[in-house]
Amino acid sequence: MDIQIPEIGKSFARPDAAAKVTGAEKYAVDYYGDHLLWAGVRRAEVAHGRIRNLDTSAAARLPGVMAVLTGRDVPGANRQGIVHKDQPVLATDKVRYSGDAVALVLAENRETLKQAIDLIEVDIETLPGVFTVDEALKPDAPVLHEEHPGGNVLLKAEIKAGKGESALKDCHILIEETFDVPMQAHAFLETENGIAWQEADGRVVLIASTQAPFRDKWEISHALGLGMDRMRVISPYLGGAFGGKDGATVQCFLVLAALHAGGRPVKMWWNREENFAAGYKRHAAHMRYRLGANSDGTLQALHCRLYYNTGAYAHLGGEVMALGMEHAGGPYRIPHTLIEGWCVYTNNPIAGAMRGFGVAQVSFAIEQMMDLLAAKLNINPLALRKKNALRRGDQNTSGVTMTQSTGIGDCLAALAENPLWLKRNDWKQAAGPFKKRGVGVSAVFNAMGYGRGLPDSAIAKIELTEGGRIRVYNGVTDMGQGNATAFVQIAGQILCQENTRIELVQPDTDRTLPSGSSSAGRTTYTYGNALIKASESLRRKIIGRAALMLLADTLDHLELLPGRVRDLQSGREIPLEMIGSMMAAEDRICISQFLMPVVRDKLDTGKGFIIGFPHLIFSYAAHLACIEVDELTGAVEVKNYAAATEAGRVLNPQTFTQQVQGAIAQGIGYALYEEIKMEQGRLLTPDFTTYHIPGAMDVPEISSQIVETWEPSGPYGMKGVGEVGSNGPLPAIANALADACGIRLTCSPLKQERVLEALSQSRREGGS
Amino acid sequence: MRQVRLPQTLADLWSLLNKDPTALIFSGGTDLFVKMRADKVAASTMIGLERLAALRDIREDNGDIRIGACATHENILRHPLIAAHLPVLVQALRTLGSPPIRTMGTIGGNICTASPAGDTLPPLYVLRAEVEIASSKGSRSVPIPDFIAGPGQIRLAAGEIVTGVRVKKPAEFNLHHFEKVGQRKSMSCAVAGMAALLRVTPSGAIEACRLAWGSVGPTVMTDAGIENFLTGKILSPDTLSAAARQVTRMVMPIDDVRATADYRRTVSGNLLLRLSGMENPTIELKRQSPSEGM
Amino acid sequence: MNIRFTLNGKAMDLDAAADRRVVDLLREDLGLTGAKEGCGAGECGTCSILVDGEHRLSCLMIAAQLSGRDVVTIEGLSEKDRLHPLQESFIRHGAVQCGFCTPGMIIGAAALLKRNPQPSREEIREGLAGNLCRCTGYQKIVDAVEAALLPEEKL
Repeated sequence: MDIQIPEIGKSFARPDAAAKVTGAEKYAVDYYGDHLLWAGVRRAEVAHGRIRNLDTSAAARLPGVMAVLTGRDVPGANRQGIVHKDQPVLATDKVRYSGDAVALVLAENRETLKQAIDLIEVDIETLPGVFTVDEALKPDAPVLHEEHPGGNVLLKAEIKAGKGESALKDCHILIEETFDVPMQAHAFLETENGIAWQEADGRVVLIASTQAPFRDKWEISHALGLGMDRMRVISPYLGGAFGGKDGATVQCFLVLAALHAGGRPVKMWWNREENFAAGYKRHAAHMRYRLGANSDGTLQALHCRLYYNTGAYAHLGGEVMALGMEHAGGPYRIPHTLIEGWCVYTNNPIAGAMRGFGVAQVSFAIEQMMDLLAAKLNINPLALRKKNALRRGDQNTSGVTMTQSTGIGDCLAALAENPLWLKRNDWKQAAGPFKKRGVGVSAVFNAMGYGRGLPDSAIAKIELTEGGRIRVYNGVTDMGQGNATAFVQIAGQILCQENTRIELVQPDTDRTLPSGSSSAGRTTYTYGNALIKASESLRRKIIGRAALMLLADTLDHLELLPGRVRDLQSGREIPLEMIGSMMAAEDRICISQFLMPVVRDKLDTGKGFIIGFPHLIFSYAAHLACIEVDELTGAVEVKNYAAATEAGRVLNPQTFTQQVQGAIAQGIGYALYEEIKMEQGRLLTPDFTTYHIPGAMDVPEISSQIVETWEPSGPYGMKGVGEVGSNGPLPAIANALADACGIRLTCSPLKQERVLEALSQSRREGGS
Repeated sequence: MRQVRLPQTLADLWSLLNKDPTALIFSGGTDLFVKMRADKVAASTMIGLERLAALRDIREDNGDIRIGACATHENILRHPLIAAHLPVLVQALRTLGSPPIRTMGTIGGNICTASPAGDTLPPLYVLRAEVEIASSKGSRSVPIPDFIAGPGQIRLAAGEIVTGVRVKKPAEFNLHHFEKVGQRKSMSCAVAGMAALLRVTPSGAIEACRLAWGSVGPTVMTDAGIENFLTGKILSPDTLSAAARQVTRMVMPIDDVRATADYRRTVSGNLLLRLSGMENPTIELKRQSPSEGM
Repeated sequence: MNIRFTLNGKAMDLDAAADRRVVDLLREDLGLTGAKEGCGAGECGTCSILVDGEHRLSCLMIAAQLSGRDVVTIEGLSEKDRLHPLQESFIRHGAVQCGFCTPGMIIGAAALLKRNPQPSREEIREGLAGNLCRCTGYQKIVDAVEAALLPEEKL
């Protein structure tokens, strides 16, 4: 590793990269432990039903089986859920999707575990299921949660601004279209897993691949009736998560198992098939749009009806939909809006958080609406977007005043000067035989933070160790986005210390402080702001204590330098090692909390949301896709891609670009082939053989342009950049497809079969 | 726990097989071990062929090309003899699985797995490959269409193994073409594929042709009628379109999670159209000596 | 069965079930957790290892097949304190995000450079087509492999 003093704004290699390239980094999945037991669950395998009988006796008798536990063995509420506690740890009466767990097994090894799970006999009376939103909303539809007052509607809400939908009738131009997007899998490479054991004093330690160790503690406490002081949750670096580890996966199973393991460590590791069957997914959505504009292209009114298929349990479904609704009108000024949303329970796997949280869905719709409008008006689609782009001071489609950095206009301007845009006609004309080329754009945004109703807070802790090193106690999981890297940069910048002197402690509920989940583009922003304050306190403290040892009667001449404090007047220095060893333990630590600012407008809308509406701060991007369509196969290949991204100031251009490129690759998969296919709640794409994510040959070279603004509330002016990039590729590619061959697909993914069918249909219509 | 044997010589292999004729034979293991993980393998003894040097070589034999059953896809892909004479096979192998799958998987394994989507199969059909089979009692060889009986079904008796595959150098063809349609480019399973060998004159007349389609029927699909229809005609979009219509009637695809039968049918015909504009030969007809290989 | 082979330069002599998956043998029995398991079916490449210098998937190999082979895992690619040039390059060029694919990706890249010492960017992409990455979008990985080809002073 290069030795350097980290600086804000300069590319800085991850402190974790060295351990990751040598295989030394220990992810949760790399912990085994002596006398290890393996835990696994029997799943319902029935999409909707009532448990008549559960016979675990044969499994329990199998040699090598330590315990078989059912819902009756769960000591607490046996309910989990971040907002609504509607999901059992182990189902006792009803099962609501095929992945519902009904029994938990502890065994000496994996082979025995598998045999024991197979020996559990579950007698389930099958109930009729609902799988689509339409089925679930029928008046006589089977109901998943009898106790839920809304029936199968988890949440119905609306956002209204201006005159609402009534303004549509005054518009010169009206565009109407309906859009559908499927479920997407996160497909992180480290599947859900963890290890847990009970210590001699009875406390349980859980090391898990989780995005929210502090919330896990509260959830486990509620579900298992275990005091929060009776457990410790540790979250090492994650092998990817993207939202899919923001909630209950293995945590309650493992803690429950540990309570029955006699102090032995218990490991649970879902295989890829279990990840597909029981892991969270991105919501499938059905979206009806009506967009009205003046004849000069000025947007006037929008009416949307959005239906999010949320699967069997609430999880974050309502909040995902809320964010989708908040972004349904795009990063534009539309004075009159009515955005209605229905978040609907079905007997499908649970849908939840995924990068672009509800927004990736509506981006597909609004960004095609914009191109449809541009085509109708015969306006350049980039110019139409620019004309309507939000500026600071405008009100967005929820009626929120844009008081913070608002850079979508700059992103669009940057794209307009990109050679891929300027030379698009030449490039298109150079298509080979049986190929058609097209160029499409999209303008996207993504809110940062939890929104109103929930404090978006982080508590930073930083220490000068006894040995004179700097230790940052990171409270927010690093799932690969690189927030931990930013924390080293911030500490290094403020304390002027070399990277080799700075250590990181990853989230651990015993050592680090509650800082919220690793989600919502908030990790570097919220914790970073807290860390700036804590680091500045520590800097002052180190200088103050050094003064005692340097016999300085003023702090004015003392400077914290790499490894030492120097009196600039006398030239005398004292090493940090000495200062650290002099200071008392409690004196060596600085702690600071930061709370994200919230929207101040008094809105008379969005009252249906429990939490998570509205948001104050957004990041922006404009994307451009150059695609080639094969007329013989319908295959779409993305040949070039450009993104101009605005997320305030950039702390680290390398990690910033990583986020942009990675999000676009995921977005390309979502655009072209990623789709969870199901039949009556049974997965038809249960593994990586049938569910394809992009490989190295499927992602083009991506040009990522940084468009900087200044976000006054951000640490050094930054905003979160992790999510916004996921929202652009699907609409940009859909628009490029229309540009290439005049077909507009409103149902994604834009897979070759669908494209070929649309091509032949358009040929038939053109020929008739 | 299963017994695993890795014989070093054929003699050892025959004696193992005589003792346990039901033993499961594997080569690269890229298909078998996936099935084993899914509990789809019952056998208690497995015999791996990977250490049989005699089954790995690729050589010229009486003017034919003989590829040992345990030659890996990567070995074949990099062999000068194959590059010089069998571009159609090279093109197919480049799309097969992924680099590690190609260093592990073998051509014998691909043939014996007999997947309708097996990537080496359409080229081997147009090359009129002979499958060499041996047992302790002797050896025989059968044309590949007679060896593969259906999806996952091969005509191999107990105690027999596939030792190699033999093809005549397709010297009379100057256009080799293979195309696979998958769901993505990296590591994809064929939704449809076509191998073609053509002899095309400088003026574009098709003097000879052989065609085979994969993933659009229980086994690789061929049709002498379509080949005859094309022979003697000019390689033009019109001719190919007419033949493509016949292809869509000939193939017998199914619906599965990767694609519908309708799509496979349409694409099978469309793949033929790709040949239009391909008058430039893949290999020079005059080139005969393998020493001049690429 | 008794299996003798070379692992990261060291002679190994161990007893294991003949049909034990190599990925389990490495991770559970030998504590080498650098090779990961992401799918168990040969689709993701996180379990990549070098066997006699070739790129193989340890989830699709069984213990018996190791006999007599020279096996290198990610842990054996660097020498003492000196990282392999690919490892250096992955760090420098930001090719690592969550890092779960990284060991397999570097093994795949090492095997590629052995087959083809001067690959183009397109050839690098083809060579890594068996290693999935969900974080990076591959571009910085291609950058890192490309840069590792250059002489040290140009890095």
